[in-house]
Amino acid sequence: MSLAVTVTDLEQQKGAFHLGPVSLSVKPGSRTAIVGPSGSGKTSLLRCIAGLERPDRGAIRIGERAVAGAGVHVEPVDRGVGLVFQDGALWPHLTAVQHLTFAAPKLSRADALQLLERAGLAAQADKKPGRMSGGEAQRLGLLRALAQHPQVLLLDEPLRSVDVHQRDGLVLLVRTLCDERDVTSILVTHDRDEALALADELAVMRDGQLVEQGAAVTLLEQPRTAFTAAFLRGAACLQTSALGGGRVRTPFGEFDAPAAAPAANELRLVLFPGDAEAHDGVDGPEARILARLPGEHGMRWRCAVDDQIVVAKAPANPTHHNGTTRLRLTGSPRLLPWQAR
Amino acid sequence: MTAARGDRWTRAPLWLALAFLLLFVLAPLGVLAVETVWSADGLTLDAWRALADDTNALTQLWATLRLGVAATTLSLLLGGAHAWLTIGRDLPLGRFLVPLGVAPLVVPPIFVAMGFADLAEVRGFWPCAMLLGICHAPFVAVLAARGLRATDGRAYEAALLLRGRGRAELWLLRSILPELLAGCLLAFLFTVADHGVPEFLTVKGKTWHTYAEGIFSRWNRRAVGTTFAELESPIVAALPFLAGLGCLLWAALRLRASAPDRGVVRPLPRRPLGTWRWPALLLPLTYLGAGIGVPLLVLTRWVLGSAQRREPMGLEYARQSYQKAIDQGLPDLVHSLWLALGVAAVIVLLAIPLARRSARRSPWLDLLTALPATMPAILLGMGLVRTFHANPGLGWTGWDFYAGWGFAVCGYAARFLPFAALTLASQVRRLPVAAEEAGRFVPRHAVHRALRLHVQPLLPAAWSAFVLSFVLSLRELDLAVMLPAANATAVRRLANAVHFQHEDWSGVIALMLLSLAILVPLLPTLLAGRKLSALS
Repeated sequence: MSLAVTVTDLEQQKGAFHLGPVSLSVKPGSRTAIVGPSGSGKTSLLRCIAGLERPDRGAIRIGERAVAGAGVHVEPVDRGVGLVFQDGALWPHLTAVQHLTFAAPKLSRADALQLLERAGLAAQADKKPGRMSGGEAQRLGLLRALAQHPQVLLLDEPLRSVDVHQRDGLVLLVRTLCDERDVTSILVTHDRDEALALADELAVMRDGQLVEQGAAVTLLEQPRTAFTAAFLRGAACLQTSALGGGRVRTPFGEFDAPAAAPAANELRLVLFPGDAEAHDGVDGPEARILARLPGEHGMRWRCAVDDQIVVAKAPANPTHHNGTTRLRLTGSPRLLPWQAR
Repeated sequence: MTAARGDRWTRAPLWLALAFLLLFVLAPLGVLAVETVWSADGLTLDAWRALADDTNALTQLWATLRLGVAATTLSLLLGGAHAWLTIGRDLPLGRFLVPLGVAPLVVPPIFVAMGFADLAEVRGFWPCAMLLGICHAPFVAVLAARGLRATDGRAYEAALLLRGRGRAELWLLRSILPELLAGCLLAFLFTVADHGVPEFLTVKGKTWHTYAEGIFSRWNRRAVGTTFAELESPIVAALPFLAGLGCLLWAALRLRASAPDRGVVRPLPRRPLGTWRWPALLLPLTYLGAGIGVPLLVLTRWVLGSAQRREPMGLEYARQSYQKAIDQGLPDLVHSLWLALGVAAVIVLLAIPLARRSARRSPWLDLLTALPATMPAILLGMGLVRTFHANPGLGWTGWDFYAGWGFAVCGYAARFLPFAALTLASQVRRLPVAAEEAGRFVPRHAVHRALRLHVQPLLPAAWSAFVLSFVLSLRELDLAVMLPAANATAVRRLANAVHFQHEDWSGVIALMLLSLAILVPLLPTLLAGRKLSALS
């Protein structure tokens, strides 16, 4: 049976890095990915949920049970969670079968072999990790975590050391096994594709803070912050400056700031690929053309504006090829705060 | 059983090891220090002034430093060259010679001295430096070989392409510098702490003494009740020495720790020696010949009757030698064997929890564990004697712990624990922390988890530590002089016998001792086919 995971006002100080306060709610049976750039604190958060680290403040509940909080620390083994580590973290002196039978005392060798066969590891049953590929090691790490029938499965960048051509197989295995066992899964990654492949809910982190959380589709289509748009969709986020009277200046002109917006300097003009187009006129910011990309929707140009990369639609009949062009918006401007407050 | 209660069981070995360190390392040193400060003839400014003005002490210190530098230079040349030629060059028989770099370590330095003394007139400073340099070259050879094996061949080839051969070799030297320096420091520590060889080579017509000898002679004079006004306690004399050596040990540990974990590497390419290929073989052969060949040859000649001027030497005399050895020396040999086995077993049991703790959570423990390596064994022996001679706390039991084998085992274990603990700590650091963390999710008893996931991966390194401790215990002379039960070991008996010209049967005992020292490391190779190179 899957369980909910609730993190409330969690904080942790590690050297100069401060995590939190973070509050996160994961529904039973859901697949949630905590995404963010390296150093954003997502792995620390996952380790606190797993019980490998203790938070300084805040509380964690798994199901109805408090597992971390004031005066409470439940050991990892007693939390009912399984953890798939980065790079497998396998035991170098044990074979694949021994990994499973040691990790799950009730598992017989025959059961372990059956599990290995399902994961395509039958031939590796008596091999040690040193003789396995990255993909095989990660599969074994997944089986080890699931062998104990956890109610919550935690995955720390499980695809990082896996070859591109093996990723789909591993994604399918994770989703199949999690569905079969009705497990709540929480994934940590800085890879957008990995997150979207393995999760339906996303929680975006930056600098130790949770930026926003929601359904993956919603966050992709309607991000509430410029950071989320940049991280999840590679959007360009151009600087703006406040003009007063609720107006802001952007490289594409002056616009009204959205209602209930934060200080204007915190706003960014967010451009998804195709939100701008190159033209031969003299209006709009000048952009340096970096590359020409053919695509399903016609030719796109990767252009540099200030320190941002904008993927713009190419003009139908470009006349200038001297490496620069002018850009204009194709729709209404999208002005978003850089980070939620 | 809850996880917390299980953890208590897994922490018990650590507490035991810490208690051992407290009793057999810190307490003896503390007792010496306390006696120095508070006894009737305790530490005073006058004592320090006397030490500073004592030309004898300064001469000893200077002689020791010269001896250490000279011997270490030779160790560097022999050990470093052995590793470089056998790993980085296409030396004939190179693959067989690599693991043999450690082999001279099994021969006690006193045997090497006895061997050379039998062949030629080896008295004085330079012969002593040469012999100690040969004896301690394995430290450099082993660590340099480890550094070369850990160097990525691709990086070396890149240096070769970009900067040429000379610069590439310099790059290689720089990349193994931490290991090389650590090996040199260990060789230096062992050289300056050695009491037996300088004493043996200068026993007739003394012209110079080392600091370790000086400390021992002060101790002897103190022990017989001679008024000793100029210096009140051996530790006063030893303190500056200890401080210097402590700094060196700290530097050695830092250097070893700073050696980068180079991860998965491609082996170094074996570069051709060209016309020097066969002549270069002379260097490892000279090193191994001097370190093992000469002592074995001379001991064999003794067995055959050379020392007793028997003409002709022959097997009949050898048979008589063996008979005499078995009659007179076998009990000592058996004592030595049991003592060394006991010491090695105790050391491994203590070193595993200490190594795990120092590698994972408390790096300062490295320095504490390594403390006995900084001092002459003779000084540690004095501390042990002063602390335990009255069997403190055991009087009511009637148990004479001080005179028993248990005390000797503990004393030897304190002396050699640093080498095992550091070896194992280095291995623990190589094991991924995440793999250990994965064990925290396994629903098994904490002791079971610890044995399977923490101890089992250390077994190969533990075996190496066991062998090293066994060999070092078997050849230890300085502590054998100090500790009552260890007086009956074969090495102690041999050192006495050699002075009194009983070389025939002592040659047999020495050969048997060497056979034991060689056989134990070879057992896994013979029984399980384990590679001999694993030991080095």
